[in-house]
Amino acid sequence: MINFAQTFIDALSLGSLYALAALGIGLLFGILRLINFAYGDLITLGAYALIIPSTEAVATLFIGGWPWFMVIIAVAVIVVAAALLSDLLVFRHIRRADPATLMIASFAVSFVIQNLILMFYGSRPKSVDLWSNLNYQIAMGGLRIPLLQIVTILATLVLMGGLTLLLKRTALGIQMRAAAEDFRMARYLGVRGNLVIGLAFAISGVLAAVASLLLLSQTGTLSQTLGVPLMLFAFIATVVGGMGSLIGAATGGFAVAFASVFLQAYLPDDLRPFRDSFVFGIVILMLLLRPSGLVPTKALVERV
Amino acid sequence: MTDTAQRRFLRAALPVLALLLGVTAITALVALLGNDEMALTVTEALVRLIVVVGLSVFIGNSGVVSFGHIGFMCIAAYAAAWATCNPMWKQLMLTGLPVFLQQAQYPFWVAVAGGAVLAAAVALVFGAVILRLSGIAASIATFAFLAIVNNVYSNWDSVTAGVSSIIGIPTVVGPWTALAFALGAIVLAFWFKGSRFGLMLRATRDDPVASRASGVSIVRVRLAAFVLSAFIVGIGGTLYVQFLGVATVDMFYLQLTFITLAMLIIGGMGSVTGAIVGVFAVTVFVEFFRFLESGVPMGDLVLALPEGSQEIALGIGMALILIFRPKGLTGSRELKLPGLGSSRRAMAPALTTTEAAARS
Amino acid sequence: MLEVEDLAVSYGGTTALAGVAISVKEREAVCVVGPNGAGKSTLLAAIAGGVPPKRGRIRFDGKELVGMRAENIARLGISLVPEGRHVFGTLTVEENLFIGTYATSDRRYAQSDAEQLLGYFPRLKERWRQPAGRLSGGEQQMLVIARALMTRPRLVMVDEPSLGLAPKIVDTIYATLLALRAERGLTLLVNEQSSDRMLKFSERIYVLRNGRILLHGNTADLQDGEAITRAYFGFDEHHAPATSEAAA
Repeated sequence: MINFAQTFIDALSLGSLYALAALGIGLLFGILRLINFAYGDLITLGAYALIIPSTEAVATLFIGGWPWFMVIIAVAVIVVAAALLSDLLVFRHIRRADPATLMIASFAVSFVIQNLILMFYGSRPKSVDLWSNLNYQIAMGGLRIPLLQIVTILATLVLMGGLTLLLKRTALGIQMRAAAEDFRMARYLGVRGNLVIGLAFAISGVLAAVASLLLLSQTGTLSQTLGVPLMLFAFIATVVGGMGSLIGAATGGFAVAFASVFLQAYLPDDLRPFRDSFVFGIVILMLLLRPSGLVPTKALVERV
Repeated sequence: MTDTAQRRFLRAALPVLALLLGVTAITALVALLGNDEMALTVTEALVRLIVVVGLSVFIGNSGVVSFGHIGFMCIAAYAAAWATCNPMWKQLMLTGLPVFLQQAQYPFWVAVAGGAVLAAAVALVFGAVILRLSGIAASIATFAFLAIVNNVYSNWDSVTAGVSSIIGIPTVVGPWTALAFALGAIVLAFWFKGSRFGLMLRATRDDPVASRASGVSIVRVRLAAFVLSAFIVGIGGTLYVQFLGVATVDMFYLQLTFITLAMLIIGGMGSVTGAIVGVFAVTVFVEFFRFLESGVPMGDLVLALPEGSQEIALGIGMALILIFRPKGLTGSRELKLPGLGSSRRAMAPALTTTEAAARS
Repeated sequence: MLEVEDLAVSYGGTTALAGVAISVKEREAVCVVGPNGAGKSTLLAAIAGGVPPKRGRIRFDGKELVGMRAENIARLGISLVPEGRHVFGTLTVEENLFIGTYATSDRRYAQSDAEQLLGYFPRLKERWRQPAGRLSGGEQQMLVIARALMTRPRLVMVDEPSLGLAPKIVDTIYATLLALRAERGLTLLVNEQSSDRMLKFSERIYVLRNGRILLHGNTADLQDGEAITRAYFGFDEHHAPATSEAAA
């Protein structure tokens, strides 16, 4: 029972991280039909922004040494700027392209960001000590919960709450939801396309920034592919949840995390290394059996 | 063969022949006149040419982008590695291999055929499952496939040596072998494009609704292209490891997927000519930047671009192509030789005039 | 008010419109009739900035619309109701209705306009807080028309309002459009497949077929409908017309 509860909390915390990243990807897909492969690299970029650019093996904290709220704001600003820049330089010019072309373009953006990081920071992984006191474990009736897991879950709740309020209660948010569902129709009604898209990139940047801080505190190691696995799982989460639905993206994030944590815990030993294959297999099954995802949106059924 | 049929055949075959000659000439030039390093570069480029031509058989004809073909390359490459690497090493490191692979060392041909057939067989099973998905959903599924192959081959230690490399594969592939297979792949790709299946597949790409109504089974024709393209890509994989002498899982993942797709897109997704031009253009481009990275002496100074420049340049180049020339350098058209197309071109205005006359 | 000249649009290799010219005067009700695939929807979408023309001019009050973004065209006072009832399914009826006023941040008349429109479509009031995706087809059509009017457009373009709806609902919708036109001095440009309803509704008619205007004139002069039928079914062309198919 203790074991189960521990696994459950692990899954909840991992799911929070996936949900954050999946929301960022889902938001862009909903509005632009862009599966943003570069999203993982935005996460990586956020983490690298914490240290002084150098190709030395030892990392020297830069922004990372500031008070925590300053760190969040600074990293968010940098990642949002990068996200907006990627739209300005690349995606804005191929708005009418089909989703596969957009995905390939994001592949190119990802490749460029990864190699820019490589150029400025070198290829060696660096260990970074960000907020290591979050690894303190709280004992609760036989359970040992790292503080970081609680922070991750709380941060996700706060961000999802904020995002919900923004989307449900503000004029701009309602326009975004409309654009996510039917971009062309929204524009026929006067919704400014580039404003809504810019906002979507900005929000996805904020989500990526927070995800990168949480991820880095957890792993403690910087490498230029830091964000790629998180992006892959988040991408899968959006497919499982229902592409274009934000509730679906969050749900998918938790579903993928639960599947992978519980597979890790309960798969026979010799199958455990292949856990990710099972998770990716679920995606293919999902596409075949329920292509609209766990939380289908009507708009997407026609689109995918 | 009647006279006109013969001419029609020539008109179709001559551009292919010209492409084959072009590829051969470039290879010969580099292999005979260049140094050893250039011979290695041209061999690798030819192997990539096989892979990209293989990709274009599926992507070019079906219009569905596959992110999974490097997975087939990986499968075939490992099969070739199993077949050809030193039995002593295999018995030591790859304890999970079946006896017939573990105890023996097979010749080059067997490794190529075995690897390509294995890739095609996997493509047959996987394709039958996912090819009824449409557009982006199918692309996502191929992506998941790539991730699965990577995960399985990274962790199946007793058979693939996990994330460490399989070493001791005889390096028998040089520029001429690679050239022979590349020419074969080009011919195969043109043959498929002109075949009934190729025509049907392009019809489904251009107008899925109409071709479904006309009784073309999308899944069946797509599957044919998928299997053939996995076969060709698989050949590329088997050659690649017998060129490098080692096999590592991470050689066959996102990086190579990106580079091969970049080549296809830069050249032009819709044509075999595009695949060839793309490989050529990207190779020259990358080599040029590699040269700049290694340093150019300017008087007393050596000016060098920092490491990573070639990748960044490639990424930017690809984005520029997507923005300004989405059909690639070739416009996704096949090579047309001047003079040969003339009879058709002469007909075109005549046709327009009669049409106009009919309308008025 | 609206002048379209020599408008050509193509998708990939296929031509949707080839040199179309139409004009709409202030407060007119104009109808474009034509069979499925004639290019009617493309014409309205091109005016609204949804598809880029290959060549041609589109002027609204003398201002060139070609090259403008759809949202800016909407802000000039042109509202398109596209075919197929594009409600935002996950948004509530209320949110759907107000979306245009949120976008233009012009909310002076929003409340009073909404109330007036709900007077025409009381069913929407009952469903105020429900997701629009759950409305019936007829209710969705009412919603998209009401929504298009919320930004106080001067030209309203409606693409096949009767498609897939029961005749009774279609009657309501046309009656409402006419009433609103009288009340607000609207200009209307409507696409339809069938011409008989149009003959009652509009002042002028264009017949569009294969991307070309084949006929246009005052509705009063075309009242017997024979010329329309001939143009519509293509009797003028030398091919044998597929009458049975078109009539079905």
